[in-house]
Amino acid sequence: MIDSLTFLLAGTLAAATPLIFAAMGELVVEKSGVLNLSIEGLMATGAATGFVVATVTGSAVAGFTAAAFASMLLSFVFAALTLGFLANQVAAGLAVGILGLGTSVLIGKQYEGATIKPIANIDLGFLSDLPIIGKTLFGQDPMVYVGIASVVLITWVLNRTKLGLIIRAVGESPKAANSIGYPVILVRFCAIAFGGAMAGIGGAHLTLSYTPLWAEGLVAGRGWIVVALVVFGTWKAPRIALGAYLFGAVSLLELFVQGQGFAIPSQLMSAMPYIITIIILAIISRDARIIKLNHPASLGVPYTSGE
Amino acid sequence: MNFMTRKIKVLFGTIVALALLPLSQAFAADVLKIGYIYPSPAGDVGWAHELDRGRLAIEEAFGDKVESMVVENIPEGPDAARIMNQFAAQGAKMIMLGSFGYMNDGLKLAKRYPDIKIIHASGYKLAENMGNFQTRNYESAYLAGMSAGQITKTNTVGMVAAYAIPEVVGIINAFTLGAQSVNPDATMKVVWLNSWFDPSKAQESARSLIAQKSDVIFSIYQDTPSVVTVAEEEGVYVVNTSSDMKKYAPTKLLVSMQISWADHFVEQTQAVLDGTFKGTAFWGGMADNAVSMESWSDDLSAEQLAALEGKVAEISAGKFHPFTGPIVNQDGDVMIKDGETMADGDLLAINWLVKGVETRLPK
Repeated sequence: MIDSLTFLLAGTLAAATPLIFAAMGELVVEKSGVLNLSIEGLMATGAATGFVVATVTGSAVAGFTAAAFASMLLSFVFAALTLGFLANQVAAGLAVGILGLGTSVLIGKQYEGATIKPIANIDLGFLSDLPIIGKTLFGQDPMVYVGIASVVLITWVLNRTKLGLIIRAVGESPKAANSIGYPVILVRFCAIAFGGAMAGIGGAHLTLSYTPLWAEGLVAGRGWIVVALVVFGTWKAPRIALGAYLFGAVSLLELFVQGQGFAIPSQLMSAMPYIITIIILAIISRDARIIKLNHPASLGVPYTSGE
Repeated sequence: MNFMTRKIKVLFGTIVALALLPLSQAFAADVLKIGYIYPSPAGDVGWAHELDRGRLAIEEAFGDKVESMVVENIPEGPDAARIMNQFAAQGAKMIMLGSFGYMNDGLKLAKRYPDIKIIHASGYKLAENMGNFQTRNYESAYLAGMSAGQITKTNTVGMVAAYAIPEVVGIINAFTLGAQSVNPDATMKVVWLNSWFDPSKAQESARSLIAQKSDVIFSIYQDTPSVVTVAEEEGVYVVNTSSDMKKYAPTKLLVSMQISWADHFVEQTQAVLDGTFKGTAFWGGMADNAVSMESWSDDLSAEQLAALEGKVAEISAGKFHPFTGPIVNQDGDVMIKDGETMADGDLLAINWLVKGVETRLPK
């Protein structure tokens, strides 16, 4: 029983980490008024790049850095289309997402099916040896803690700093932000670049820690979960993180319950993580006033200063 | 002006050359062009890798009498149909279709081009010029199950499977029967992924099964070493299908249920070259060298290995069939009576699990 509990709790943190990185990036992008649907492709590109670079250099840090840069570069394509050419953000996001999936295949071609030694878990002596809590709280890989820190940091930046205020202003009313002298396009561009880098790091966490191997299609729809999490978490970082942990927990619980041999159809079990996460997030965010307050008013609307 | 004429000449020459190209190809009929379509990249291990080894066997056997055209990673659907037609246009006279879902497009192609011979993986539709091929993985699953039954201490085996299709259900049953033949207390837990491809989920499934006391993991049709690496990491034994994955679990691989298309592919190519090809359904087992056991674990005792090798010989010689009664299902009903053997047709459509599997079939 203790083994099973450890599996569930420790696994949840690890499973949610790729989602959290990508979701924190997407949150900033959407707060600046841009809807970037290419997360799945950005994560895949990061996953492949991180894996290849870490394999070649032997350094996980190099892998994560390269993943962040590769996905950021790809997000520039999205930025050029939506900010430069004022393309429809939904269409541009989907197109760049597909491009990202293709790019990941190209980058990982020589490494299809290869494995890598996962980044080491931290070891805090007796703390890490405690039953259940040890492995869950004090024995994860370092990126799990960085992920948690990023939630705190993003919450603080968006709500308590001038930078956060500018990002939100640009997302609410780009015209007003522009009229008081803030460079709307530049702010949005930086947000998109940040979102790309974070999605890349999330993808790299998949291939360098969570599932230490590369295979095409490894991201397996997690990028779409991220987009859903941001919306259903009503653009609030702690809620989005909660959703990610919930999703991770239920998807592990599903596998556990199946192994126990309960007579629940496994197809229903497989759908559970999606159903439960959406229902719970919808319930805690059902207050229409809060949704209205947090929803970036200009989300998805192209902006030109020339009007 | 001079320059212009030269340019036009070059252009004209190119057009003529291009127009003649198909003609020249038609005349070079002494080389058999074979087209191959794989559903996934032919990596180091897995389904497409084994198909590709079949191709290499053909090339080795026939040398410059054959020419290969390979296209990997083609989703089932219009893309596959397009590639098939392209192969036909390029003069392929034999085509290997590497996935179940290519079946209907393949059949259309077979009807349109009676002179193109097609062999198709794991389908069931036949034509005069289209045959299909499958392996009797239940034979190797029974043997792998035996070894799992011998080596397990917790009497619990965990299985990671994609979908509950008859092929998968059949090998789960055979594995269970094999395990129980040497260890009547052995029970099986199954996690259905409900996804053909999600290595992360496969790894988590293996971890959850290990947390629930499984000390042997059966990785069913996972094309990546996802499950195998987790088993090595957690220190439990692992059995995998299709390819040998010894290098991913050097100390914990119990055995690999290797498949091989080499003999069948070479035979079919010979038939095409001889003009005797006829579309047949090939279901190859150990007797046909289509299925074999690779990399038995060093942890099996000499006695256990002898028992396993003895069973290998019996199955290869056709003296033993894993689905020989009495066999009861999960509810205790007798499905195969004492002394009877399950017919191939029933085995291909099997939709019940044997006693000893704890998980129910998703319905």
